[in-house]
Amino acid sequence: MTSTIDSPSPSGADLRGEIAISVRDLRKHFPIREGALQRVAGHVRAVDGVSFDIRRGETVGLVGESGCGKTTLGRCVSGLSDPTGGGVYFDLTGDDNERLDSILASPEADRSEELKQELKQIETRHRVDLLQNQDWLRYRRNCQVVFQDAFASLNPRHLVREIVGRPLKVHKEAFGEALTERVVGLLERVGLGRQHLYRYPHQFSGGQRQRISIARALALDPELIVLDEPTSALDVSVQAQILNLLNELQEELDLTYLFITHDLSVVRHMADRVVVMYLGKVAEAGSTEDIFEDARHPYSNALLRASPDIEDDPDAALITLEGSVPDPARPPQGCRFHTRCPVATPVCGWEVDDVVRWLEDEPGMFDALTDVTRQDAFNADLVFSDESSASALAAALRSAKVPQAAREALVEVKQAGNAVHVVFEMVPEVELTTRGPGHVAACVLERTPELD
Amino acid sequence: MTVSHAPEAEIDTTGAIASVVGLRVHFESKAGRVYAVDGVDFHIRDGETLGLVGETGCGKTVTARSFLRLVPMPPGVHAGGSIYFRPHQPCPECAGTGCEVCDDTGRLPVPCPVCGGEGCETCGGSGNETIDLTSLSGKALHDIRGDRIAMIFQDPAKALNPALTVRSQIAEVYGQHRTEEVLQRAGLGSAASMLMRRFVSQRSRLWERALLAMPPLRKKRMRVERAIDDMVSAALAETQIPNPGNVMARYPHELSGGMKQRVMIAQALACNPDLLIADEPTTALDVTVQARIIELIKELQARRKSAVLYISHDLSLVRRVCDRVAVMYAGRIVEIGGTEEIFANPLHPYTRGLLAAIPSRSQSRGQLVAIRGTVPELIDPPPSCRFVERCSYAVAVCGEVDPGLENVNGGHRVACFIHNPPDMAVEVPSFSKVTS
Repeated sequence: MTSTIDSPSPSGADLRGEIAISVRDLRKHFPIREGALQRVAGHVRAVDGVSFDIRRGETVGLVGESGCGKTTLGRCVSGLSDPTGGGVYFDLTGDDNERLDSILASPEADRSEELKQELKQIETRHRVDLLQNQDWLRYRRNCQVVFQDAFASLNPRHLVREIVGRPLKVHKEAFGEALTERVVGLLERVGLGRQHLYRYPHQFSGGQRQRISIARALALDPELIVLDEPTSALDVSVQAQILNLLNELQEELDLTYLFITHDLSVVRHMADRVVVMYLGKVAEAGSTEDIFEDARHPYSNALLRASPDIEDDPDAALITLEGSVPDPARPPQGCRFHTRCPVATPVCGWEVDDVVRWLEDEPGMFDALTDVTRQDAFNADLVFSDESSASALAAALRSAKVPQAAREALVEVKQAGNAVHVVFEMVPEVELTTRGPGHVAACVLERTPELD
Repeated sequence: MTVSHAPEAEIDTTGAIASVVGLRVHFESKAGRVYAVDGVDFHIRDGETLGLVGETGCGKTVTARSFLRLVPMPPGVHAGGSIYFRPHQPCPECAGTGCEVCDDTGRLPVPCPVCGGEGCETCGGSGNETIDLTSLSGKALHDIRGDRIAMIFQDPAKALNPALTVRSQIAEVYGQHRTEEVLQRAGLGSAASMLMRRFVSQRSRLWERALLAMPPLRKKRMRVERAIDDMVSAALAETQIPNPGNVMARYPHELSGGMKQRVMIAQALACNPDLLIADEPTTALDVTVQARIIELIKELQARRKSAVLYISHDLSLVRRVCDRVAVMYAGRIVEIGGTEEIFANPLHPYTRGLLAAIPSRSQSRGQLVAIRGTVPELIDPPPSCRFVERCSYAVAVCGEVDPGLENVNGGHRVACFIHNPPDMAVEVPSFSKVTS
């Protein structure tokens, strides 16, 4: 790696396909504070152990429902917020990347002094949140962000010249007349012109504002642009203009995109590879074709079926998901999707919280629940205020009121007075497993061990 | 202002529950008068779902809000046109449960009070009571809002009152429009005192509430409250909310987005309205939740057979939900027709552009057909086709004369010279000739 600032950003045909960004076991937890003393009562696990690579010149689509952590992940990648654990590595050579993976694969306690030393060396030079001075500046040049709401992300009191020219000024690239000319060049590149130089953001339409955002992101000739829902505030006809522009720019400038969106038809159109996130974890990742034609995770399937393509048969019923997204401060055990999964199995991680969730939807019973004493997530006593509720729960847990899979996962249900002792089968967290070349999914179904 | 019904004559208006005729709503601004809605005509037939699609700022929300006069005036100006609404009443045969007379809808049209069902000028010859919503008095409009016409807003987080529980927000609808029914359910009937009536319709003063908390009236009040609880809980259960008893006691911020939207739908459907206006009901929701809400609206509409005006910018959704579609552009309707007809054979260049701009699986990357330019500002628009600046097929005449919405075949109408050549010796545009 070269750490001199004036080295041109490494781009060009020879580097295409090389890894630009490696995300390794990235975690971002936000503390929940309570009470007068603002004591930390728990953590919202917005991103909870995500790993993937972004290769040079490709577009990686990041999809998921709101609250799944995709924007937080984008902020960590662009260095706008520091991760709680794991890291984002920039500009690793192929060898370094392999080295890093092999070090990270070994448990932290077992690492020898040399390994720790080597890891530290790689981290100080490549881990985004640890970069210093010149390296940090270089990363900021090479990674730019386009935000969802161009109205909020452009300073309303600055002229377009100041907005688009700001990065050039900060990085001491151009001043005065030269700066104006650079800004005009950038504006022309995104379909605006010299006449727009001395206007304020409010004088532009939504699509034009997004173009200004893109011009600003392009100012320093970056390698990677994180696009955080760049078109979700726009109309379809304008969205098409922006998507076409982004594609043109990618081809001309060899850009790498991390495209964050909830709109699957846009992802299908734009992305080479897709990462599907659910509750802070990767549910499935693979090439766009793999995900859209051969999705292996029930959640990706549900997402695809829920969003109608204009070419689909309009009379076909949309497949809908039951229930709502669980609290990310207490994510479900096993597979995080098992609470809503239509094809859940007994080994998907049924736990005591599932019983509590079920009780919440049951009239009367939840009010009678006074206490839950947990040995662990799979083993607890539920204490009710009266005996009849306790026996009703014990009976319900054996009946068809709860999913078949949950009943099969039950090891023990014992009623003792007001309390019900519930034990579920202990299940480890479901890991991503390989389903094909470059295609991984975190689901217990159709696991093919020989491919691992 | 009188508006001629002439262009409507050839359109079949039988069974229309609402007719918008030449509606114009303008806004006064510092920069000049904004012609937000400028001559909109359409009908909504009883029991059908009409989709209103268009881009931001095309006037679709203003049109919808004009039904209930929710457009703030000033700065809004009602510059002309009318919205005729033909309210229904519960079927006298079955009292709203559905029978043969009312075709299982539980509702029947109200006969015109002027001619008694014979057909006269005020009711447009239909014999049914016809109300002009744009010139109605405040009191009469109040009786229609939430009762005969209900609305689902775009963002449930903003539309629900954060300071009231779900129960009290839905109870308000019953209190305003179903006082008698509540009293009857509570076993008080016509014998109920004025005090009780005022309590149900939420008009009690402080001293009245104090009286109602005293032993002699307390029991009656509790009975009324239980009756309201039952009604609210039934309304919530109909929108597939699990454990409605629990949800009733919550505040909106305690519910998820999908749940809030269900509460709003329950509130809108509480009085079994004749017309439901859904203004982008799923835009603020995730795709998986959106799919459920769409299925829910479709199912409820099929069961109650009420008419729905469904406003959206998402064409793939409109295609699934609606029977007919009206495409709006810059304050006017440019194309209207059956959903299948519009999607299979779009006639207006704008409709074609909108459909082509949606990314679909068959389009290769970077090849989206975008409509060039942006929606024009609606300050003092020229008297021509509004789409002329962005149209690839425009010729000289398009920039001079307004094409007007003309019938092409059946109920499919379009405002474009490609299909309705002007009666002038000028060059006529055509899809085979790209001019710019």
